Amino acid sequence: MSFYVYCVVDPIDSLPDETLKGLGQQEVSLLRLAELAVIVSEFAGNTVPVSEANVIAHQKVIRSLLEVTTPLPFRFGTLVSESQLNSYLSSRQPALLQKLDDLRGCVEMSVKVIWPTSERPRTVNSEDQHLGSGTAFLAAKKEEIVGDATIASKANELLAWLNSHLDNLIRDEQVTLRPRERLVLAAAHLLERERLPAYKNGLAMARAERAGLHFLLSGPWPPYSFTNIDLEFKSKFGVN
Amino acid sequence: MEHSPGNPLSAEPEIETSHAEEFVEELRRVTDTLPSRINVDSQSVEQGLAKLVLTLIEFIRRLLEKQAVRRMEGGDLSPEQIEELGLALMRLEAKLQDLKTQFGLADEELNLDLGPVGRLI
Amino acid sequence: MSSPFEQVVLQSDFDELETSELSLLETLDHVLNRGLVIAGEITISVADIDLIFLGLNVLVSSVETAQEVLRERERRESVGGTERLHTER
Repeated sequence: MSFYVYCVVDPIDSLPDETLKGLGQQEVSLLRLAELAVIVSEFAGNTVPVSEANVIAHQKVIRSLLEVTTPLPFRFGTLVSESQLNSYLSSRQPALLQKLDDLRGCVEMSVKVIWPTSERPRTVNSEDQHLGSGTAFLAAKKEEIVGDATIASKANELLAWLNSHLDNLIRDEQVTLRPRERLVLAAAHLLERERLPAYKNGLAMARAERAGLHFLLSGPWPPYSFTNIDLEFKSKFGVN
Repeated sequence: MEHSPGNPLSAEPEIETSHAEEFVEELRRVTDTLPSRINVDSQSVEQGLAKLVLTLIEFIRRLLEKQAVRRMEGGDLSPEQIEELGLALMRLEAKLQDLKTQFGLADEELNLDLGPVGRLI
Repeated sequence: MSSPFEQVVLQSDFDELETSELSLLETLDHVLNRGLVIAGEITISVADIDLIFLGLNVLVSSVETAQEVLRERERRESVGGTERLHTER
């Protein structure tokens, strides 16, 4: 029998919403293994289809736990047997307990920023140049490199500016900067839930200050982006 | 219980933006440029390998360009050397573009995610 | 003057679709590619094709699967109003 695993939690006595169903309308249960508590549901089959319904069910279950405890979400699609789960939890127990400590009382908020064309520093694209000669090619490359460095530093400046409005409110952040893209900044912020009102205010002030930037705010989310318990290098190693 | 009942969270994550359409477009683009799957059939394995190899070549090519520009700025190259260097790099860029086209790979696909260290390119 | 954190006012069906697509995209952005990993024991499939995690923890997947979710949604919506799936709010 496979379990679909949603998250590890700080131990609680019962589920906050007994009626909430998981993937495939399965009942959700609380399991105690290796002195940790895990939220699971039964799952028929060997693979988890990535469908809108499944993704939403996954998020809803974990979200409901956020109301009453600290969830450490598993990656979407985690299917294991009880013994596999047990062995994972026992071997990672100290790290998981530590992580629960770190995240207790915290939520994740997400900020994304688009800088529309007018706000973006102009870059020179060497492909646009008339490439008649090797020398012209290198000259154009130089412009491009300088341009890249300029936008990279503008992007970093943007991040620093944003952080200045959120000083002391954030416990941790995960940021992706893409200086050459319109979606220049995507940040996940970890903060204590009591700080939410101050955080939202900080953001409101930032938005008012730079009306040329386009913001998307979402949250509060369970701390999906802050669950890394493996050695930094091992955790995410992808071929793009 | 660590969570004060006096601080209830709303039932659903709120999303707040004045530019929904733009963000939908950008988020879709981000999802488009992420990895293609590596499949077990041989054609895709080749594809996956080609991608890896081209990514590394692309990385080195950019390093070469930067170094060439640095040398050019440094003033220790003659005009003829600059011309030769430029032409060679120009051909390299064009060649790589051909290879990308042959394998049906977009520019954004050539990258390596090194986790917290960031992306290679 | 409305509070900056009220949801975008829904003016039409189109806006509603857009807002819920945005909500889906944001959710995908959070649940895929993040979270605890039990290495080598996760299999996610799309359209009957298994995406297998290789031993190197090479993560195959999640974003092409995000595309699949979006396509599925579009397919459903183009079938007609009665078929449209509403995400629960």
